Amino acid sequence: MAEQAEDQEQDVSNGAATEPVMDAPGGGAPAPAEPEETSENDEATISAGGKSVEIGNFRVFLDLRMPEFDMGHCKAYSADNLRRDEGSAFALVTDPVLPTRHDHMTFLTGMHMAGQIDLIDYETAYWPPFGRKTMVLFYEKPAGGRVLAKQTKKLPIDEHDIATVVVEPLMNAMQAFGEKGLAHRNIRADNLFFADPMHEKVVLGDCASAPPGYDQPAVYETASRMGADPAGRGSGSIADDFYALGMTLAELGIGRQPLKKLNDQEILELKLSKGSFQAIASQEKLPLVLIEPVRGLLCDDPEERWGLAELNAWLDGRRTKPVQSNTEKRAARSQNLAGRDYYTCRSLAQGIAKNWSTALAPLRDSTVEIWLRRGLGDNDRAKALSEAMRQLQWAGADKRSAEDVLVARSILILDPTGPVRFKGFASMVDGLGFMLSYDVQHGRGPQRFADVIVRDIPSFWFSRQEGYSPEVQKQQQLYKNLRYYIQQQSAGYGYERCLYATVRNQHCLSPMVEEEYVVEIADLLPALEKAAETASEESWPVDRHIAAFIATRLEDDVEGQLMAMQNPSDEVEYSRAIISMLAIVQWRHGPDNLQNLSHWVARLMEPAIKVFHSKARRERVETEIPKLAKRGNLVELYNLINDEQERRKDQSEFVEAVAEYSEAESEVFDLESSGPARMELAEKVGQQAAAFASTMIALLTVSALFLMHIF
Amino acid sequence: MAKGKSSASKGKGKGGRSAFSGLSVIASAVLLFMVALPTFITLTVGLLPSLVAFIFDRSPGRTMARCVFGLNFSGVAPYILEIWMQPAQTVSGATQAVFQPLALSIMYGAAGLGWLLYLAMPPIVANVLNLSAQRRVSELRKKQRGLIKTWGDSLIKEVDRSGN
Repeated sequence: MAEQAEDQEQDVSNGAATEPVMDAPGGGAPAPAEPEETSENDEATISAGGKSVEIGNFRVFLDLRMPEFDMGHCKAYSADNLRRDEGSAFALVTDPVLPTRHDHMTFLTGMHMAGQIDLIDYETAYWPPFGRKTMVLFYEKPAGGRVLAKQTKKLPIDEHDIATVVVEPLMNAMQAFGEKGLAHRNIRADNLFFADPMHEKVVLGDCASAPPGYDQPAVYETASRMGADPAGRGSGSIADDFYALGMTLAELGIGRQPLKKLNDQEILELKLSKGSFQAIASQEKLPLVLIEPVRGLLCDDPEERWGLAELNAWLDGRRTKPVQSNTEKRAARSQNLAGRDYYTCRSLAQGIAKNWSTALAPLRDSTVEIWLRRGLGDNDRAKALSEAMRQLQWAGADKRSAEDVLVARSILILDPTGPVRFKGFASMVDGLGFMLSYDVQHGRGPQRFADVIVRDIPSFWFSRQEGYSPEVQKQQQLYKNLRYYIQQQSAGYGYERCLYATVRNQHCLSPMVEEEYVVEIADLLPALEKAAETASEESWPVDRHIAAFIATRLEDDVEGQLMAMQNPSDEVEYSRAIISMLAIVQWRHGPDNLQNLSHWVARLMEPAIKVFHSKARRERVETEIPKLAKRGNLVELYNLINDEQERRKDQSEFVEAVAEYSEAESEVFDLESSGPARMELAEKVGQQAAAFASTMIALLTVSALFLMHIF
Repeated sequence: MAKGKSSASKGKGKGGRSAFSGLSVIASAVLLFMVALPTFITLTVGLLPSLVAFIFDRSPGRTMARCVFGLNFSGVAPYILEIWMQPAQTVSGATQAVFQPLALSIMYGAAGLGWLLYLAMPPIVANVLNLSAQRRVSELRKKQRGLIKTWGDSLIKEVDRSGN
């Protein structure tokens, strides 16, 4: 167990330290050897020269890179707007193995907002360098270029102009996001562009191409969110944006990224021990004019942190209330863990997370509990830890699992605002979905996520939150669903359902359609239509991913179909459920003609035909299927086998036929087995008949004789 | 107890009826002996096979005896009528008529035919019943084949399943 924990710890630290690269999908993962034939692609076609690709209303030039507009891990390419002459656009190509942010894309598309780069449109399209489809975002080129140009050492903005050039437009953008209940989560000096050639205003760059906070340097994240893996930093709130704004101002003030010399772990420890502002102020020389806003914005307590009101006051030259630089309580004596001394709860929580296996001993022998009581004087936490210990004693046979839960809970007791950490997995509760998506698409698989959910760690996180928060309530409701999904084993549930339920823009990961980058349900059937061309005869067009994708994205309830899919050995119900699901999708979202998919489905309809008992009906259906398949209409195919009136009639007639057959069989048996009884009966009847006949002859003879003598 | 009593009374009633009919036969015979001796002699001699049959046939309903009697009586009836048609009924006349070989042959032959009828009728009925059963089996099999043709093997499976 210790070795496993160490391995996971190694993975996490490596992952956190790795800079995302965007040479290929997956941040450097090998791309397919040969790009697919683009002629097959509906939306994207490479021009004759092979240098450009048409995507929606844009022509993107593959050989015209625009590194000055690269954003985070995404690369920018020159693009022409085919519908509009004025303005200039560029294309930002997202990594297909990282989910984009749906709410942000729909909010920003086609909208002009001061302080935010204009997102003109976005399209899912075939991207030749990747050899597969991905999401491409089209932005209006900011006229003034990037604020932090790499080649210049000079400060791009005078410290006295930062308020008007940077803070005002960014406040406007943050307010707009806040009104929509969204957080930008990508505010950093590196992601700022001058909106005009005169460099009078800046705009924020992209915030939709990756999970929230994924591209942020660790220093830009609050101490709570820093502990999470980059993909699991969570959607956060406007308070996190204000923190990032504070760090942006600090970077613009000092001309380079604060604490760049330190690694992420050192930055976190520094922030935890001194507080964020002190950590920066102790290492960097901040311009005097920026000290006040940076101090207010980098306040570690989100309740105390500066917001729009304080920033407005500062812009107006009014004094604002001073904020506490570091609210983290420091113990009188240290708690040693794995050779290191920890003085604060949160730093100890981080230490436990990093030393999973060795942390168990001090927790079990109550050393940490005593430290909390005596060293820190925090009886509430000590009591909670003692309660967690007591629950360990109630654990059944699975002691190891109970010990892991104890460690995870101890971390949450020590750092209730931090991420959920479990054996190398570290994600904020509002980032669980993105974290799962990252794990699944980067070879780690869903196991870590499943372990966290099955062991109900987030529930403990919710129980440790103080006060009422609608956001937390919402997350709690969502989590309840996740737990239900993960406990179900059948198709349409499991981690796949969790994935699509938590990440709205997660494309369908079914191997059949993965490269088609299906984000919207309307794109699923066209992708399957394409897959049907090469599909093997035995495979089904709906696998676990597609079932979960449909269940999440479709407006209609398909629980009935999912129930029927629980038992694949019942071929009739299984095939009917699959055909039904696909038919509903086609009925809702089209397209009308799906010939390949219809033929694929028709091949698999053999078990479904068995719903009819009558041979004549089956033959009729079998002759109808090829005709309907040719028309490409799944709804008609489904209706053919799901004519409820016809089915009921068939069923009742079948029941009658069974009864009739059984009755006949029983009568035949009786007749065949009643030989001796029949002989007995025959003898009796024969004798009686003979006696009767004899009597009648006697009567007739006497009557005849009398009549003869009379006449 | 009540059932036993009722069956005992039933048996008693049947026995009583039988005894009554036996007595009435004897009474009739005595009356006939006193009033019409030639007829009595003719009947006694002529119906001798029936008498034997009634004595030996102990089966319920005495069907064999009834068979023999019916045809035996048919054979005797013409001679009885012949006696009744003579102006003077005498014992010697009756005896002479009865003991003629032809008369005896007709009377006893008729009794024998009755016995043959008794023997021949059950196999005939058995054959009729067997033929009827065979025809019914064939009809039912045809019907079953028709059902299988309409519903296929699933019908057999369902029948087997419901049978199990």
